[in-house]
Amino acid sequence: MMMNSGSSSGGGGSSGGGRTSWPSTTSPSGKRIQKELKELDSHPPPLSSAGPIADSLNHWLATFLGPPGTPYEGGIFFLDILFPNEYPFKPPKVMFKTRIYHCNVDSSGNVNLDILKDGWSPALTISKVLLAIRSIFLNPDPYNALVPPIAHLYQVDRKRHDELAAAWTHRFAK
Amino acid sequence: MSSLNSSSSIMANKSLNCLEIEQHEETISDSFICCVCLDLLYKPIVLECGHVSCFWCVHNSMDAIHESHCPICRHPYHHFPTICEMMHFLLSKMYPLAYKRREKQILEEETVKNCFSPQLDCKELKSSNGSIPSHDSNMLSGQASSSCITRVDKDSSNMDSNCSASIKERDLPAIERVSSSGVLCPACEQLLYRPAVLNCGHVYCEACIVVPEDGIIICKVCDYPHPSDCPNVCLELNNFLEEQFPIKYSARRKSVEEKQARFQHKNPSSCSISKKSTKKGFITPYRGSEEFIPWWSEHGSKVHAGAGCDYCGMYPIVGDRYRCQDCVELIGFDLCGDCYNTQSKRPGRFNQQHTADHRFELVKQPDFLRNIMLRLVGGNLVDSSGAPVLAVNAIEDPPDGWIAVESVDDLENIHNNVAAADETVGDILHDDSDTQDGSIEVEFSDALEFSDNNVTSLSHHDHNNMDQDGNDDPPF
Repeated sequence: MMMNSGSSSGGGGSSGGGRTSWPSTTSPSGKRIQKELKELDSHPPPLSSAGPIADSLNHWLATFLGPPGTPYEGGIFFLDILFPNEYPFKPPKVMFKTRIYHCNVDSSGNVNLDILKDGWSPALTISKVLLAIRSIFLNPDPYNALVPPIAHLYQVDRKRHDELAAAWTHRFAK
Repeated sequence: MSSLNSSSSIMANKSLNCLEIEQHEETISDSFICCVCLDLLYKPIVLECGHVSCFWCVHNSMDAIHESHCPICRHPYHHFPTICEMMHFLLSKMYPLAYKRREKQILEEETVKNCFSPQLDCKELKSSNGSIPSHDSNMLSGQASSSCITRVDKDSSNMDSNCSASIKERDLPAIERVSSSGVLCPACEQLLYRPAVLNCGHVYCEACIVVPEDGIIICKVCDYPHPSDCPNVCLELNNFLEEQFPIKYSARRKSVEEKQARFQHKNPSSCSISKKSTKKGFITPYRGSEEFIPWWSEHGSKVHAGAGCDYCGMYPIVGDRYRCQDCVELIGFDLCGDCYNTQSKRPGRFNQQHTADHRFELVKQPDFLRNIMLRLVGGNLVDSSGAPVLAVNAIEDPPDGWIAVESVDDLENIHNNVAAADETVGDILHDDSDTQDGSIEVEFSDALEFSDNNVTSLSHHDHNNMDQDGNDDPPF
């Protein structure tokens, strides 16, 4: 992993692009992450972006724009993505850095997504994870909730739920 | 929004770097990109479901304890397949530069791990085609094994002439480098039509794979029994053949369809015979759809986590496991009970230098794993009743190194020490003799507490409290 951090700093700092190639000793997970980065760059998922923070290729920041037509509209949500060394054979860790009123995201930012746990497959990529997160923005899943009161409100009083979510978006995500 | 911009500029820089390496290489068709490493397939393995991945990508994505699932379709499988040599040579001819880079890259990774993928001989290709691919300048360097070194030496004379040949090849489009002689079905000896790959890595037309009455498909090339149901068509390979050899392929389609029509006309009931046959002689691995706990209670104690059979590829081994005592490679050499008994002579799956005169030993299922699993399984069962099922299990069959093993003897020793060290708590012994008549769980908790280094600092008061807690509320 030391190799990764050394080489990726060239991209962030000395933005001249003088580096000719990545060291060939990069780990398999590092190579895979580089491939994903390239793919994300050429085909970015809708309303979101992702890329490494500072020196480490294993630590990414993703940004999400709240989808129009939802109470999250207008908000910018930041997510932390941590790749384990065994990636892609182990799922990445995804955490919301921005507070959000959502039944599938708890107060410390954990996301309840099957594909980030048992449902992970090495063929999944960050771009697919971002799509899955986008889908819970559009359709919260109250049956697999991390925050039961929000799920309950979502089912019982959708209007009130949306008002609160919009208020939180205004307060934390703008 | 500034962070959006900065991250995208980083991305641009990075992708530039990646492009620089690969811009000299051939453009690789999406069909031959591995879904796991997102690079050109290297030493491709075709799973039962027909999806393709690299050797290491498949191996690393397999589950060490349960049945594995295809990364793409989640189709369950339990046997690590062998590399599909036909696709391997096909790819090395189609993308000589990219394949060469992959070869170098994987070899570096393997050297770090000190664990090598099987070496594929080029003899087959030489005989079938006459020309030697650039790939021939061999895959493994000196570290791998002595036999490899001899081969490298032998082939090095050919290398120079190959280089010039491969430079000339570079200008040709991929289509001209591949001849249909490399993609024939070993059964009908014609161009593969709807190719399916057996666990041994040999490719047949779907229609040429005959399922015998006992349901176990035997490969005609290597006589190796295919461990599961009839494999699905490998669509990536199928599409490639259809594109590369459109005329031959459509001729094959026509003839196969005609044959099938005739067959069905003659014997209309036969079309209803399902290709999905049930297997005999194999212990059923865990299927995702089944309940895990009943499966584990039946087979769990026979699972050797992380150990695979080097002949049939069963991973993890369920049932008896024999380990070679003479193989020096880090990965070792293991056989499942069935393969040990059949005395098969297949090579190891990780380039081990195993020979027939090596000795084997029967490996006992490690106790600690079983106990961990019992604990997990037990934990689920306990929840409803509240009774500590696990504690009883653990004491009936104590694993090594668990503190409960020595609970009774050590406990008394510790108590004696405590009493000797601190005379003011003299009546502890009396209290303890009472509690020892009580439940086992209390002893267990005492043992855990006393194993602490600060045994002597326990005051009488604390100890009494602890006993009461233990009695009221068992630690499990």
